[in-house]
Amino acid sequence: MSDARSEGRGVARVAPPRRTVALTGADGFLGRNLIGLLEDDDRVGRVLAIDVKNPPTAGRKTRFYKVDLTQPSVDQSLAEIFASEGVDTVLHMAFLASPTHARAWAHELESVGTMHVLNACRQHTVRRFVLWSQTLIYGALPSNPNHLTEDHPLRGSAESRFLQDKIQAEEAVARFARQVPGTTCTVLRLAPILGPTVTNWLTRFLGHRLVPTLMGFDPLVQLLHEVDALAAFKLAVMRDAPGTYNIVGDGVLPLSTVIHLAGRSPLPVPHPLAKPLASALWTAQLSEAPPPFVDYLRWVCVADGAKAARELGFRPAFTTREAVLDYAGAQSLRDVQLLKPAAG
Amino acid sequence: MAKKVLGDDPFKAEPAKKPKATKRAAPAKSARNTVAAKARAARETVTSAAVEVVAESPVEAPIATVVPAVDPPVTGVPADEVDAMPVDVTPEDVTPDDVAPEAIETVTVTAPEPIPAPPFSVEDRFEQILAEASPDLIARMAERLRASEPETSPEPEAPTETAPAVAEVFDVSREMMSSDYYLRRWGKVAMRDRSQDVDDFGLDLAYESRWRGVFDALYDRWWKVEVEGIEHVPSEGRVALVANHSGAVPVDGIVLATALRKEHPAQRRLRWLAEDFVFHTPFAGAWLSRLGAVRACQENAERLLSREAVVGLFPEGVKGISKPFRDRYQLQRFGRGGHIKLAIRTGTPIVPVTIVGAEETHPQVFPAKPLARLLGVPFVPVTPTFPWLGPAGLAGLPSRWKIVFGEPLSMADYAPEQADDELLVNRLNEKLRGVIQQTIEQTVRDRRSVFSGWRR
Repeated sequence: MSDARSEGRGVARVAPPRRTVALTGADGFLGRNLIGLLEDDDRVGRVLAIDVKNPPTAGRKTRFYKVDLTQPSVDQSLAEIFASEGVDTVLHMAFLASPTHARAWAHELESVGTMHVLNACRQHTVRRFVLWSQTLIYGALPSNPNHLTEDHPLRGSAESRFLQDKIQAEEAVARFARQVPGTTCTVLRLAPILGPTVTNWLTRFLGHRLVPTLMGFDPLVQLLHEVDALAAFKLAVMRDAPGTYNIVGDGVLPLSTVIHLAGRSPLPVPHPLAKPLASALWTAQLSEAPPPFVDYLRWVCVADGAKAARELGFRPAFTTREAVLDYAGAQSLRDVQLLKPAAG
Repeated sequence: MAKKVLGDDPFKAEPAKKPKATKRAAPAKSARNTVAAKARAARETVTSAAVEVVAESPVEAPIATVVPAVDPPVTGVPADEVDAMPVDVTPEDVTPDDVAPEAIETVTVTAPEPIPAPPFSVEDRFEQILAEASPDLIARMAERLRASEPETSPEPEAPTETAPAVAEVFDVSREMMSSDYYLRRWGKVAMRDRSQDVDDFGLDLAYESRWRGVFDALYDRWWKVEVEGIEHVPSEGRVALVANHSGAVPVDGIVLATALRKEHPAQRRLRWLAEDFVFHTPFAGAWLSRLGAVRACQENAERLLSREAVVGLFPEGVKGISKPFRDRYQLQRFGRGGHIKLAIRTGTPIVPVTIVGAEETHPQVFPAKPLARLLGVPFVPVTPTFPWLGPAGLAGLPSRWKIVFGEPLSMADYAPEQADDELLVNRLNEKLRGVIQQTIEQTVRDRRSVFSGWRR
């Protein structure tokens, strides 16, 4: 199939060759919605949904492959799928949106799973490889500048498996990009996603009536609307833009303003008590994020989206404030049970 | 099974009802409506492809176009409609043979008639959804609508005719009994004094203007600040104000900002760089950040200067404010010349600023080193008024202040690469330090006394 395509390129043909896009983690929020976007795009001929569960948005162009990235030697079967379908673009999104207690499994899926996917791409060379990463991996530290650029070192807390696995995945992709020059590697570091239909640790955190904060600390928060997140991935699939990009919404807001706009009230906790408290709540499975996430309530972790605007052409349609308001609109309906809770 | 999965999917089923319910239930919240409008605009601009497909595949068009969920509120389809869709298009049944590439292209080419993009009016759609919805949901929505439209619903009108006061008392007390009431009140109180927008560095204009009265009173009445040479600060363009740092409680940033706002003809806004430990301290960091302070680092300073801002720099840093009282007029080391490198690299003129009076406002009583070590900060200010009087102690003693703006040092003669020339940087730094030290001594000599100011 890929042979036929490369031959067809030289001949005068009206329609350009159609793309075959493979999505790992296709049943996540991003995967599910991107399948819909890609199905609607003429330039995409085939979408491969790779996950353990069939995404409900799969349509005519989508073919589902049940592949568990935590299994050993999964790279072989992935490579076979890629080769037989003639995949030219891989969107690697098999990451967890929220921290989990199953740390060992998360490590297998995120860090080792990325290795498997990259090994498959080494056997069957693809044109583009897009990785979902997060701005959280810069880490919230007192020595952060107010706007982190892409070349800033990744200093996410070493105690957090959630952050470390994603840093390792990025490192693996950077190695891959050096070794396989034929593949354009795009890494999208997304700010925390908020919106009316998405569910992650942040939406659950803001879902409490009283949202815990640190007394006397009010860091600036930067968010990304879910629509903008999807638009960024669509751009990365369609444009040739190697490198790493911060994908962030316009503007920042103090954490307390975010909480008030979401219709919640802050519950200030003295900061020396916060880590032990967070640790106890996490152990009791009563909180949505492990203790290292307390840092994000104290220090600023805001990324600079100028490079994505310049080189990728990504301009967010929503500001941080509008993302919060959009989330709050849906959440208030969920609160009175006029809207079903969003699926994870 | 496929039907169940599709029916449960929130992107397709639920949001279709959302905007309508929002519209009816909360008509006053225009902010939400603008967001919805923007979502619509975003759908059209960002993913125009999603709209194009509508014209292509007539059979599955309703499903194919609504699935992307880029804008769930606008393009949703009710659960029942999804349930009713033909079995042969469910994802399970799509086998490789069914969708050969040729087949897809044929469908694409021979699209007979486009489905009208929004095929129904909002009202019709709403009626349709209501007709298909479960009775339970209808009952709940109707209840919400009644509650939100008092002028059309008969319930509140009847009591207002008979006993309006009683009805009002009843309504208010019922509202006050709801568990949400106090949280909502508290939310409103907390948002009263600030805007919903801050700039990239956290400056909140509404919050800052609320504090202006306090700072103006301190500036005019308490410290009676005198300003000299304000004309050296240009009316536009980037400029770095390099000032001495003194007084154990660093309020000189706020006073310098007030001076520029009150005395400068262009009312320029100062963004000053504050030491790290300010941001380590609870309340202080958040408060100063809303007022315009920025954490001192090269990246932040460069970004501010690239926006043609007036940036206040205190190169003495913590050494300046923690110096003992006897050394109060003695300038400390000016860092490693980072401010000079910054000015050379960005071609920013430097205006040397001398602030006299802060030393006596907040004289350091004793260095509370064990306390500082305990709190994990480099320095805890202990003055006659702070921390004993709490936040009011920030006003300090009523010493007279004088701010002298010197001749600007132009950096236009140096190429940006010369920022790496350590000898040049050191020479310029010492020159700047000499100018400020000289002005301090001159100003102190001219002063009649600490609390009565300068001779006229």
